[in-house]
Amino acid sequence: MISWPVARAAAREKLRSPAIVAIGFCFVAAVALGGRAGAPREAFGGFGIPFLVVLTLALGAGLLAGELESGHAQLVLLRPITRAAWVGGRLAGAGIALAAVVAAAWLAAVGGAALRGGEALSLSAIAVLPLAVLWAFAWLSVLAAIGAVLPGWTNAAALVLAALAWATLRSTLPAALGHPEWAAWFAELSKYLGPQDPLQLAWNPREGLGAGLYDLSWVFFAWLVAVLLFNRRELARRRT
Amino acid sequence: MIGGQSDDLGTPYVGRRMVSPDLSTSNTAPFLEVTGLRKAYASRKGGEVVAVDGLSFQVRPGEVVALLGPNGAGKTTAMQLALALLDADAGEVRLFGQDPELLPVRRRVGYAPDAPLFPRKLTGLQVLALHAELLGFSRRDAGQRAERFAEQVGFADPARRPAGTYSRGQAQRLGLALALLGNPDLLLLDEPTAGLDPAGVAAMRELLVSLRARGAAVLLNSHLLSEVERVCDRVLFLKEGRLLRTHEVHAGGRRLEVRLVNPEQLAGPLAQAYPEGTWEGDRFRVPVASEEAVPALVRQLVAAGAGILEVRLAGAELEQLYLEIVEGRA
Repeated sequence: MISWPVARAAAREKLRSPAIVAIGFCFVAAVALGGRAGAPREAFGGFGIPFLVVLTLALGAGLLAGELESGHAQLVLLRPITRAAWVGGRLAGAGIALAAVVAAAWLAAVGGAALRGGEALSLSAIAVLPLAVLWAFAWLSVLAAIGAVLPGWTNAAALVLAALAWATLRSTLPAALGHPEWAAWFAELSKYLGPQDPLQLAWNPREGLGAGLYDLSWVFFAWLVAVLLFNRRELARRRT
Repeated sequence: MIGGQSDDLGTPYVGRRMVSPDLSTSNTAPFLEVTGLRKAYASRKGGEVVAVDGLSFQVRPGEVVALLGPNGAGKTTAMQLALALLDADAGEVRLFGQDPELLPVRRRVGYAPDAPLFPRKLTGLQVLALHAELLGFSRRDAGQRAERFAEQVGFADPARRPAGTYSRGQAQRLGLALALLGNPDLLLLDEPTAGLDPAGVAAMRELLVSLRARGAAVLLNSHLLSEVERVCDRVLFLKEGRLLRTHEVHAGGRRLEVRLVNPEQLAGPLAQAYPEGTWEGDRFRVPVASEEAVPALVRQLVAAGAGILEVRLAGAELEQLYLEIVEGRA
């Protein structure tokens, strides 16, 4: 399901990208300097989230299409490797890069909090790291699935547009239709339209566990959809 | 140097089981067999553009076959169909008598595309090592093999730089190293000399000869008729996706062309010694059965007092044929 040589190459490629390095630097700086003294999980979960979102979008943009459009994917897929393993490898490679940047940011958050005279590292502060990676990785899988059919970085653009459209719809539609009580129903539906925030697991294990498992299933099903869509694609493009 | 197929790092292995190269399913069974291939693309103006239409051909072990035709003749599409990178609308492709999508089949095939691009942030060595690992080599062996193949294609220094900094010729060399990495039995080369310097073109010629010598089959696209004439056994003329004619390059022997310092002085003696020879300016052309006959003939010419400026071995007039068959010129 995962080609590790492909994953290593993808991780190397992503970690050398100037855009990823710049976003990672901002992420680290924000969580190191932000938040109250002694609250690494707050800094990480609060100030860090926008950077985590941007990082995920940057890692997922053109994750599959970039390689296909350059023609390198054709050469890789002429080797004895299945398309499923290639998709898994690209996704895992982006996940490794994501985990590396998030780990650096987490260390910065912990270090920043400690310097400001913070408390001892709690279990919930430690749990924030893998949970944040899981949440972002689930979104990365969604980007991979969209990227199996869309060209270039448009998978990231499509996801952002869809999120904005849904946010607009859910905030305006109930009132526009004269049913403000539908807002709660829309809010409930929103939870299931993408990976859920598992960070609450760090605070409230009972409620957070469901979100964590839900996100794991998103990773698997998004990978599966990406493979099914990608299997229908021709690898070579028409030459113009 | 590009040529040289010896492999002191061991043959590729499948999982943990070493396998020896099996070049001969049978001596005459084609490595590549294409039957009735058709591929059409949707046109932007509606309708369709037929890129390949009813194409059938074979490439046998030890053969170097060229696809020749104008731009848009369907040469690249034919290669991509042969490798199952494109889905054919009709027809069938067999590689080594099997489905081209089977993983063991892919292990025996090398492909160098026209103008390849690689991950910009990875070095050539990292790209080569990645492909070696995908072929089944361990990480350590893959690294060593990457270094060795980079050196073989004259690419050792640039291979340490990120691929995003490569010129077209350097990318072409890396593409070629990748194609050769698994010691393939069948090699498909799309415009392999495009972007190469003269030394690279000469090395490519040596490579093709060495591949043929070890029984590998090669299918190539090239516009360099002189190179095709020198190294290919068979030429397939394509136009608008259709196979117009197959030409055996060396059928009826080859022709030696010698440029002389003193043609006037030798016109009489050479006409007597080689009645089948012809003159064009200072060039004397004489048919030879094979290239083995060339050294003796050159010695005879020198003994007869010829001052030789240039010796060239050529097949039939490929350019003439190309113009006749593809362009329809008499």
